[in-house]
Amino acid sequence: MEKSIERIWKEGFLKQDAMVAPKVNDLYNQKSDHIIDKIIRMGKINLYAIAIGSLVVLTIALMVGSYMGGTLLFLVLNSLVWAAVQNSKGLQRIDKGGSSYEYINSFNNWLQSYIRKFRRIYRVVYPLIFFAFLLGFWEYGGADITRELLESNPDMTFILGVPKLVFIIGLLIVGLAALFSGPLYRFDVWSVYGPVLRKLKEILTDMEELRS
Amino acid sequence: MSSDFYTTSIVPFSGIIIKICRAYTNSQEDFEDYYQEVCLQIWKSRENFRGDSEWSTWIYRLSLNVCLTLLKKRKSNGRQFSSDRLPDEAMEDSTAFESESLNVLYDAIRQLSEIDRGVILLYLEEKSYQEIAHIIGTNANNVGVRIKRIKERLKKLLDGKIN
Repeated sequence: MEKSIERIWKEGFLKQDAMVAPKVNDLYNQKSDHIIDKIIRMGKINLYAIAIGSLVVLTIALMVGSYMGGTLLFLVLNSLVWAAVQNSKGLQRIDKGGSSYEYINSFNNWLQSYIRKFRRIYRVVYPLIFFAFLLGFWEYGGADITRELLESNPDMTFILGVPKLVFIIGLLIVGLAALFSGPLYRFDVWSVYGPVLRKLKEILTDMEELRS
Repeated sequence: MSSDFYTTSIVPFSGIIIKICRAYTNSQEDFEDYYQEVCLQIWKSRENFRGDSEWSTWIYRLSLNVCLTLLKKRKSNGRQFSSDRLPDEAMEDSTAFESESLNVLYDAIRQLSEIDRGVILLYLEEKSYQEIAHIIGTNANNVGVRIKRIKERLKKLLDGKIN
């Protein structure tokens, strides 16, 4: 006669060795690996996107005749990629042999110093990006703007060959980009990495609580 | 997690967690991951336990929810299979228990739908229909009908495999 499922269950679990629980000693091992892998993967994708994007922008700029603006933007963006790659080398020095807490903590320290360093770099990069765009637009349509402005105001003054008003507006935009580079960078980072950075912080908090 | 909490609030109920996690995993590695995640979630959610049910009932519910969530996550990552029928290669954990009959029963349970797995586990743990209904969020009549249907399915799946 076949055993009922109830009997199989009872008999099977009578022996205590059927219930050996796995060790719970490294709860966040996988989680920390996952989150770090994800952030690194996102970073790589981001760099590829910047490099490819800069090439696309350069091509378009050359096609429409914005040679200097396009080239400057291309150079700035690729310098950024180069700086990011150079700074990512520090990742290889993180010791993966320790506990998952030590690993994730070292990674977080590295990431925070990376973000601080790039916040400083972006103080220069943002104004340069805006300047490159303005230069590109000026190369593309500057002559038409100058002609129209001259028609309405034949006595206007020029600075470095650019109508004074346009020059001041350009200077203001570049200046504002430099002034607000901090918030801009924060917005930039959080719009891309916000959810994973929050997750990283959450895991670290939990791990610290687990250790206490 | 303090060792006190683990020793007093989880270890006495680890049997529940093991039984549930085994039903939702096909390998020792996955089982350990699920087990650890359940323990972690118990610890993280401990303050949500309001005492309106027994601690063990709360652990059943939480374990089921964690397993279902992990299964869903892994499915979306392409690491799991349709719950209705597992391919042969997924049956690698058919020697998890010393009792051969229990292993065969678990293999059959793993072929049930995700919710049915939870229902039959609770039934086998001798939970009342009312308790099962409370844990899975349905009514006792529905549980009764469901259990009857699951037992028939299991009987077919086990036919000739257990003496």
